[in-house]
Amino acid sequence: MLHDRMDMMSDSPGAALDPITLEIFWNRLISAADEAATGLLRTAFSTIVRESNDFATVLMDRNGDSVSENTGGLASFSCILPRTTKDFLRRFPAETWKPGDTVVTNNPWLATGHLPDFTVVTGIFHRGALVGFSGSISHSPDVGGALWSADCREIFEEGILIPPSYLLREGQWNQQLLDILLGNVRVPRQVLGDLQAQVVAAEVGARRVAEFLEDTGLPDLQDLSAALSERADRAMRRAIAEVPDGTWHSEITADGFDDKHTLIRCAVTVRGETMHIDYAGTSPQIDRGINCVMNYTHAYSVYPVKCALDPFTPRNEGSYQAITVAAPERSILNPLYPAPVSARQLTGHLLAGAIYKALSQVIPTRVIAECGGAPTMRALFSGTKHDGDSFSQVLFASGGMGACPHKDGMSATAFPTNVGAGSIEAYESVAPIIVRKKLLRTDSGGPGTFRGGLGQEIVMELDSDQPARLSLLSDRHDNPAGGILGGGAGGPSVITFSDGSKPHPKSRTSMEPRQSVTLLYAGGGGYGDPKKRSRESVKDDLRHGYISAEAARTIYGVE
Amino acid sequence: MTTTQSARVGVDVGGTFTDLVLHDPVRNIVRTGKLLTTPDDPSEAILAGIARILREADLKPEDVHSVIHGTTLVTNTIIERTGATVGLLTTDGFRDSIEIGRETRYDLYDLFLETPTLLVPRALRQEIPERIAADGRVLTPLDEGAVAAAAKHLVEAEGIEAIAVGFLHSYHAPQHEKRAGEIIRALYPALPISLSAEVAPEIREFERTSTACANAYVQPLMARYLDRVQTSLEATGFRGNLYIMLSGGGITTVREAKDFPIRLIESGPAAGAMASAFISRLAGLDHVVSFDMGGTTAKMCLVDHHEPNHKFDFEAGRVRRFQKGSGLPLKVSVVDMIEIGAGGGSLARIDPGSGLMKVGPRSAGAKPGPVCYGRGGTEPAVTDSDLILGRLDPAYFLGGEMSLNLEPVRQAFEARITAETGIDVEQAALGVQRIVDETMASATRMHLAEKGKDPRRYTMIAFGGAGPVHAWNLARLLKIKTVVVPLGAGVASALGFLVAPPATDMVRSYVARLERIDWARVNALFAEMKAAGSALLTEAGAAPDQITFRPVAEMRHVGQGFEIPVALPGLELSEANVPAIRAAFFDQYRDRFERVVEESPIEALSWRLSCAAPGWTIDLAGAVPRTDAPATPAPRTHRRVLFEGAGWQDCPVYDRYALRTGTQLRGPALIEERESTCVVGPDSEISVDAFLNLVISLP
Repeated sequence: MLHDRMDMMSDSPGAALDPITLEIFWNRLISAADEAATGLLRTAFSTIVRESNDFATVLMDRNGDSVSENTGGLASFSCILPRTTKDFLRRFPAETWKPGDTVVTNNPWLATGHLPDFTVVTGIFHRGALVGFSGSISHSPDVGGALWSADCREIFEEGILIPPSYLLREGQWNQQLLDILLGNVRVPRQVLGDLQAQVVAAEVGARRVAEFLEDTGLPDLQDLSAALSERADRAMRRAIAEVPDGTWHSEITADGFDDKHTLIRCAVTVRGETMHIDYAGTSPQIDRGINCVMNYTHAYSVYPVKCALDPFTPRNEGSYQAITVAAPERSILNPLYPAPVSARQLTGHLLAGAIYKALSQVIPTRVIAECGGAPTMRALFSGTKHDGDSFSQVLFASGGMGACPHKDGMSATAFPTNVGAGSIEAYESVAPIIVRKKLLRTDSGGPGTFRGGLGQEIVMELDSDQPARLSLLSDRHDNPAGGILGGGAGGPSVITFSDGSKPHPKSRTSMEPRQSVTLLYAGGGGYGDPKKRSRESVKDDLRHGYISAEAARTIYGVE
Repeated sequence: MTTTQSARVGVDVGGTFTDLVLHDPVRNIVRTGKLLTTPDDPSEAILAGIARILREADLKPEDVHSVIHGTTLVTNTIIERTGATVGLLTTDGFRDSIEIGRETRYDLYDLFLETPTLLVPRALRQEIPERIAADGRVLTPLDEGAVAAAAKHLVEAEGIEAIAVGFLHSYHAPQHEKRAGEIIRALYPALPISLSAEVAPEIREFERTSTACANAYVQPLMARYLDRVQTSLEATGFRGNLYIMLSGGGITTVREAKDFPIRLIESGPAAGAMASAFISRLAGLDHVVSFDMGGTTAKMCLVDHHEPNHKFDFEAGRVRRFQKGSGLPLKVSVVDMIEIGAGGGSLARIDPGSGLMKVGPRSAGAKPGPVCYGRGGTEPAVTDSDLILGRLDPAYFLGGEMSLNLEPVRQAFEARITAETGIDVEQAALGVQRIVDETMASATRMHLAEKGKDPRRYTMIAFGGAGPVHAWNLARLLKIKTVVVPLGAGVASALGFLVAPPATDMVRSYVARLERIDWARVNALFAEMKAAGSALLTEAGAAPDQITFRPVAEMRHVGQGFEIPVALPGLELSEANVPAIRAAFFDQYRDRFERVVEESPIEALSWRLSCAAPGWTIDLAGAVPRTDAPATPAPRTHRRVLFEGAGWQDCPVYDRYALRTGTQLRGPALIEERESTCVVGPDSEISVDAFLNLVISLP
């Protein structure tokens, strides 16, 4: 096959990386990342990866710069992985890597902001030389500590922290590290199974890149990486340049913890081809697990910009070079160790709404209103079944998305995260819970010329003669998803027990046999003045019960 | 001539063409034909086509043993949303299951995603007080009055033309759905009713109910259509049986097709896979990638041990045709096929953001078509690049029926590609080939990777108008060593109709941990499925003693969200089979996921029974006309072709119809037939086998 690639190069002498070759090479590397992702999905043992899409794979060059990422991976993860890899390179310099070396960490400040996510990176070798890195991030089934909680006071309560360490050294597992880790988790088999799957994924990615280099005759990834990065950077800069220069401000408030509401203050500045996002004035870090580390703040700031300005160019290191993000140290968006961070998504997911609110003042047709599903609301039930087996089941469900400039928001769909929902029949077959209702929530979509997506109402009854534990991670009870440009807020989150009492929205509580809990998921914000909504749309909404007759009359002025 | 009633005719009604194929085993002849589809009443083209092909074969309608029909009507009805007004009854508290769906965004970066239009709008979904628990306990008995009232409202106030019923846990406890069906039937005997427990008795309410709704949506139209086809066939003197091609590659009766029309969703494409399976059997190939490339798409399917891979879910009516997750999920048995936005009409452009060249999935379609058709196309397409690179002969397109114009093609490349990038026309055209071939190669690699398979173990069978043009290069990219190109590449897929066996896939759900399974209950499920399957296949022409049954359990570790199919040792199982079943589960698991976790408990969710009679066979060698061409024919002409990695090559051009068994040729070469041209690059050997397939060996 050697002659093939020599000839291939000679087809386009002097222009090895022309727009055709680059397109082909880029797609081939994206496929390689997708194959690595498939390797992870195929071999992961726990449900989290497969069911909730909580993972990503990234291929990087020798400097740890991303060259491609898998198509369906969690955007925040693929954005952070190269940053973590660069940190690995500072600790383990390039010349010390050997074939079969794999490094792992779950340090929230170096990686993705909370302990359950493991970052695993393997070196890619071609003809004996280190040419790049193949990595993945995946949400582990357990890391010990207080599972599914937002109420810890320090990170030490949240689980075991693994500093950057060899998971494998020249292909040999670091048994001591494994023993320490597995000795600290509730489901060691599953934790190990998923780590093994991450190693499989990294190896698949590394193998595919080595084959790619063999096929193409390229000595390494450096020139290609630079060329691809330049293309992605060019596309983003071009998109930013279309936005007029200026600074736009926004502020949003979230429930925070107890009476301490979170304030996010955001300033988006566009200067030519660059954008700066600054969170000066944002609430200080608190002693509860909703602090959001800088890596996560950065990722959830640049991802919404990419969606709004340049959604269709594939991503790599160049994608976000034109955007800088700053948040004050010791703020809730840049907390310092050992702050608790377990439920950092309750803060990080809000940033898209703040950025869009600022940008709506200058590019109103490119953004959406705040989302009810940002942050996600999660309820975890655990306990013992009739037959004595234990169960632990998360109910995955989402609020409504914010309305678009030209159409209604999607109901029951999360943004900026993309965690799906499972089947109620499947849920009931593994947990002693009867779901009495799972319906779209009338009037929960924020009013507007375009209506916010509807949240949902879920009623769950404990079908057991023993009590069960209920862990809740939620927000938007006091601060529903806001509308933009005259649109109204969506319906707030509400959680109520059958006796009328309301549990703490970020707590670990319990439920009695036959007791039920009603979860109202927040709706998305509306876009534009509701009075300008077309009468047909209002009547349609009324006919299908998306809004009540009263809302039609009082909000939209339609009898 | 006496009536033999032996001839079999396959009819594939596609969007543009109606393809026909006839086999008469008595005289051992195969005839093919093609005419334009008559969209207003597809049966017109069917009748005209059958009349023509019978005339050409010197047969009468009375001589026809059976007509096997495949149709895109179900797919198109869903894509175009031209089906019936459907009402839906659901469990109280769950009328939004089909609207809420899986709660995911199929494109992570597009803020303004379009979602598929619902087949049943919210106002036509009525909730019924009733509830059965996961373990089958009746928590709330069926409110029969509410069923009657809801049906009355939907029929009389809303004007529904069909109704679907989807109650929770009906996959294993169907009594409430069945009773609701009886109540509705008593009130409205002519109203088509689709019960989710009958259409797709599988756990997961969204997918099951969605399938029932889709079935109801296409049912009135398909019933009318199938009746019309049957009546008009009978009016011509046809006395044989009309069979319908199923999405899984089997054939079934009209009655079954009318009850469950949704099972016809991939009726046409399945035939192509069945044709590949047949050719793989003849040629003795155990592992085959079936590659069918036409004007707008390429379809890939793996055929292992002469059977196309199957899957039990499908997505219909996608908002973005090639985007997973953008359509309506259906629980139906289909040939596991990937569709790629790469065809002769796929358009090339320079992406303004990144400045890189893109090819497809946008397609010029049949109208305006590629620039070279001269019908107003201005953007260069894959077929245009084929022309520039010498792969196609401007004077011999569609066997010379259409002549192609090269100059406007060059101008289009210059204006759209060269002006933007400085890349000359030839290299730009080669770039289109490289990109489209790499796109297909990537998608194929992914499809194989998802199954943990290695492309190098596979042989490619290529057909469709554009398949033989791209097969050699695609095989090179995939490191596949052998490509087989059947004769009549443009109509080869129609052979699938004639070789498809009577078959059906049955499923029942019963969720239990392996060590606690009530085997008497499982055996009863299998007995019930076996009886139903036998009855159906006998009706579809199978001899009862020739039907084979393959029982499979869908199993997983407790807590996992996905199942794997595990072959079971028989239809009558007991506690004693548990160790063998557990071992089979671990074998499958290791095969797919490379590792097992032995101590984690296992459960079964669904129980499947595939029932099939032996397929028909055709003696292709005898069926194709014998020629007395020389073993090493002289090329018709020579043409220069540009190959990636080899530069311009002077290629001999052979007439496909002049080649006979045993002919040996060397690449580079072009072999032209009416509907396609087979392109073979340098350093490759070509031989013609006993069935007149071209067998190409790559270096």
